[in-house]
Amino acid sequence: MALISSFVISNGHRRTITIRFKHKVGSQDLVLFNKTYTNPFGEPITITRFKYYVSHIRVTGADQKERTLSAKTFLVDEADSASKTLIFTDDGAAFQTLSFEIGVDSILNVSGVQTGDLDPLKGMFWTWNSGYIFAKMEGVSDSAHAPAHSFSWDVGGYKSPSNAKRSVQLSVPASLTASSDAVIVIDADLLKWFNATHTLKISQHPFCHQAGDLAMQIADNYANMFSVAL
Amino acid sequence: MRTVITISCLLLLMISLSWISGLKPPSPLKFTVPKNWPQPHYDFTKNPLTQEGFLLGRKLFYDLRLSVDSTVSCASCHQQFAAFSTFEHNLSHGVNNSLTTRNAPALQNLAWQKEFRLDGGINHLDLQPLMPITASNEMGETLAGIIQKLQQDAEYKKMFTAAFGTSLINTQRIMKALSQYMLMLVSCNSKYDQVMRGETSFILPEQLGYEIFKQKCSSCHKEPLFTDLSYRNTGMPVDNTLNDYGRMTITGNKKDSLKFKVPSLRNVAVTYPYGHDGRFFSLLNVFEHYRKNMVVSETTDSLLVHKLALSNYEIGQLTAFLNTLTDTAFLKNPLFAPDGYTVTPSFIHVH
Repeated sequence: MALISSFVISNGHRRTITIRFKHKVGSQDLVLFNKTYTNPFGEPITITRFKYYVSHIRVTGADQKERTLSAKTFLVDEADSASKTLIFTDDGAAFQTLSFEIGVDSILNVSGVQTGDLDPLKGMFWTWNSGYIFAKMEGVSDSAHAPAHSFSWDVGGYKSPSNAKRSVQLSVPASLTASSDAVIVIDADLLKWFNATHTLKISQHPFCHQAGDLAMQIADNYANMFSVAL
Repeated sequence: MRTVITISCLLLLMISLSWISGLKPPSPLKFTVPKNWPQPHYDFTKNPLTQEGFLLGRKLFYDLRLSVDSTVSCASCHQQFAAFSTFEHNLSHGVNNSLTTRNAPALQNLAWQKEFRLDGGINHLDLQPLMPITASNEMGETLAGIIQKLQQDAEYKKMFTAAFGTSLINTQRIMKALSQYMLMLVSCNSKYDQVMRGETSFILPEQLGYEIFKQKCSSCHKEPLFTDLSYRNTGMPVDNTLNDYGRMTITGNKKDSLKFKVPSLRNVAVTYPYGHDGRFFSLLNVFEHYRKNMVVSETTDSLLVHKLALSNYEIGQLTAFLNTLTDTAFLKNPLFAPDGYTVTPSFIHVH
């Protein structure tokens, strides 16, 4: 028995860890365009775009040592179902915590044009004031007193004191990591964007289009949107 | 030792392979830093200049297909004979009869710039073209749209392969090629430069103008770039149709209200109109602004709080000096225009 467990802790087994993001509005699944929800302030919302960057995905075991699953930056986009599943392989050691950053490293904001998920054609880059949009939620709401009742919360900013990158840490129950191929479903609840650390109403803030105080508050809020589905 | 041998073997193999497949490695293009100039800011190691990359960038720069309806290219607003600014337009013209809110800046000596646009909002030369290409009042196109158009053109496939090794066309490669072209736009051969190199000398009004310039202008328009690349409020009140507060829109800091990047004065004789919104149509308008019309406010530059005293005599000598900054070799360099491209002479310019 001791032999077997030490075998697992050492890097004998290659294991795949599948992380699947599931976007929810409260208890309902997110549907783009065709469904209207209500936010915590009774404001109706229809979502047209929902995407965000996830980077530095890592796991931590009982030894408190972080192991990086990938140093890459991934764009998770509700409109692209493939983007919502990320698959990694590791050495199979047990872990209790899954951590990641929401946002894009500052160095990647100042190093010219990137490729892949970070290609500016993904629509997550501010061309007039260089920098990545870390996360965006866009849609329409009768509470938005703006042209076409649109609202758009585009959050970013890599410069101090408006760095909108946020860290997320989630406890992962042992039952999910016990099998040789771990599948972790992470729920992301859009309602947290409005009401978590701060209360943010569409009627007051239909737009966030630049780094700054509002972007920082929205980022504080959405840093709370993730939970491990059981 | 063994690693060295392995690496050289690999290199030999790669070279012979590329020879077999008919793929020549691109030919390096030399970037020369003019004598007594500072080192450039651009990191050439991340985008090594090659002849093929330059030629690709030049083709892109002049290609109307980079705009949504094929009416506007980069070169539409950045005309070589105007030092790559727009001849006579105060504000740039975009697709669908739109207007921008700013005067197109001259494109020259870009390798020395850290930030781009008159408000410095763009932090890398490779990122700069993204904005005019996608802005609805400039070229109005999407990056995906451009890539699709270029992919259908066999000539581009060839040119991307020649410059980057494969026919892949993506945002990064388009922007790196455009940078390669723009980096080569170095203006360093005006009469002023020739005088500084000891090849010729100023005539008297030019010399007197240079002395006045060093006394009254050069702390901001610093030699040899003729800009210190800082952002300053020179007392131009906000236009209430444009509401352009310059640097403040980037930093969100009230102290940056109405500050704009100090423009280079190289080729100043051909880059009119002047000012971030092109409100001055001649150098004389600019001088009148500095000595009389400035509106001093809280954020006006400390060097200009008492405006800038200039006599008629000084204006005459300064004008003579500023005309020595015109670099005809640069304005007419055939390498900067695609083959067969006729540079529109200013007198038949179409609005």
